[in-house]
Amino acid sequence: MYHSRFSRLVLHIVLGLTACIVVFPFLWMLTVSFSEQSSVLNRVLIIFPSTWNIEGYKEVFRQTPYFRWFLNSSFITILLTTLQLVFGIFAAYALSRFTFPGRELLFFLVLCTMMIPPQAIMLPSYMVITSFGWVNSYWGLVMPNIAKGYVIFMLRQFFLQIPRQLDEASQIDGCNSLQTLYHVYLVSALPAIISVTLIQFVRNWNDYYWALVVITEKLKLTLPVAIVTFRDETLVRWVPTMAAAVLSVIPVVLLYLFGQRYFLETNLASGTK
Amino acid sequence: MTYKRWEPYAYIAPVLVLFAVFFIFPFFYSLFISFNDWNILTGGKIFVGLKNYRTLFASKIFGLSIRNTLLYVFTQMPCSVILGFLYAVLVEKSGRAKVVYRLFFFIPVVISVSAASLSFLTIFNTMHGPLNTFLKLFGITGPNWLNAPESALPAIIIIGVWQSFGYNVILYMSGLKQIDGQLYEAADLDGASALRKTVSITLPLLSPVSFFVVVITTLSSFQVFATVQILTNGGPNNASTVWVFYIWREAFRYFETSTASSAATLLFVFMLAATFVLVRHFQKTVFYK
Repeated sequence: MYHSRFSRLVLHIVLGLTACIVVFPFLWMLTVSFSEQSSVLNRVLIIFPSTWNIEGYKEVFRQTPYFRWFLNSSFITILLTTLQLVFGIFAAYALSRFTFPGRELLFFLVLCTMMIPPQAIMLPSYMVITSFGWVNSYWGLVMPNIAKGYVIFMLRQFFLQIPRQLDEASQIDGCNSLQTLYHVYLVSALPAIISVTLIQFVRNWNDYYWALVVITEKLKLTLPVAIVTFRDETLVRWVPTMAAAVLSVIPVVLLYLFGQRYFLETNLASGTK
Repeated sequence: MTYKRWEPYAYIAPVLVLFAVFFIFPFFYSLFISFNDWNILTGGKIFVGLKNYRTLFASKIFGLSIRNTLLYVFTQMPCSVILGFLYAVLVEKSGRAKVVYRLFFFIPVVISVSAASLSFLTIFNTMHGPLNTFLKLFGITGPNWLNAPESALPAIIIIGVWQSFGYNVILYMSGLKQIDGQLYEAADLDGASALRKTVSITLPLLSPVSFFVVVITTLSSFQVFATVQILTNGGPNNASTVWVFYIWREAFRYFETSTASSAATLLFVFMLAATFVLVRHFQKTVFYK
């Protein structure tokens, strides 16, 4: 099929057009954010604004505690991702290397937490954090999300692929199980661990529904919720709204562009095995 | 292996405690609330048996939200899976440019729903949005997208497909890579057409991947929430109210704790059932090497 030049050309046209459609919402957001308020509504399909205007961005910084929101998001994301990984690595280690009574049941529990939508238990979870006094606090945002089925499941898949001989060798060298975890498992599964870390970083950064429920105070908001409240405040004025949206996705987009290998190659295939 | 008996338990204990407090307990608690009449503001509760469920089933809006959810799942999921497969095959064929296409298709997966929703809010704008402006070039008057009952849900579905199919492209591409190229060469010798090769080689060999893709996409499409909450707020006139949005609104806007818990319990049971059906169905048809 792809022997002929013509069909190759058609293939690239189809893929190129689709790629444009797929990134359009992102490009649109970017270009609207640099437009002038008045020109936006008259603009037809011209993608690039005639003059680059940063009024929208200025307005975001003038009217909102944007820097504070950014710090909130960064703090929560870094803390949560680190904890998810540390707890996940230990749990995955137990589930992949050791045989012990109750292991199958525990693994089933991990699968259950992946299958069940978090929204199905959001109300009682909310009551739990209320009883701890964690509403409107970062504890409430972080604690319920530390144990993540996805992280444990993925890391377990990768740990299972590590040859048993390696940890027998490390035992002969006198390592205890903690040292084996460090010297054998963490070292061998490093690319996988980086993948899972990046994916969780993005998910935590983007988390919307739980942050929407837990945090009510404006100064404590994280970016995904904050930009939506900002939209309501500006009465949906496109330019500042899009500027706020662009600022909120920049860290994730940069991370994705620089770490694309980890997003696209290492991690996903293991789920299908 | 020489390790002490308690070691694996020590490694898994922290996670287990967190699961118990933030997953197992809330689940049973939710079940418990659903059988009680409970006012979150006054704190009073009375055991009422199945009354909440009966009220729920009698509720027109809940029925509507289920209908909308099923409509969403049964259009978004197939579109997302089929496009995922189609584009995986096309991207695989595109030679060196493969890396670039793949990079682009995955972008919607990493961008936050809330930022994407804000962008779509302007794209779907009836008067000035680029979508209707584009349609006008062909003399088509675009619908009143997010503000009309008949087009609000389709708009949400379009966004759902946009968001999710790139993930499926990547999953299918990793599956395609594992297929032995010699099979196609043998089929070429036998003079098989491209369609024939797809039906007889690619699809059967990809069935484990398809299984995974369908399950993941179905489960996540049942959870559609943020796009609805941000773009339409369930409206107009509940035309885009979906299951999870219904639960959220009952719980955190109307403070109808019991109704919300019953709806959440039903969602849970339904998702479990959906998973079982999918697993059973695919066990019969999936081809494993």
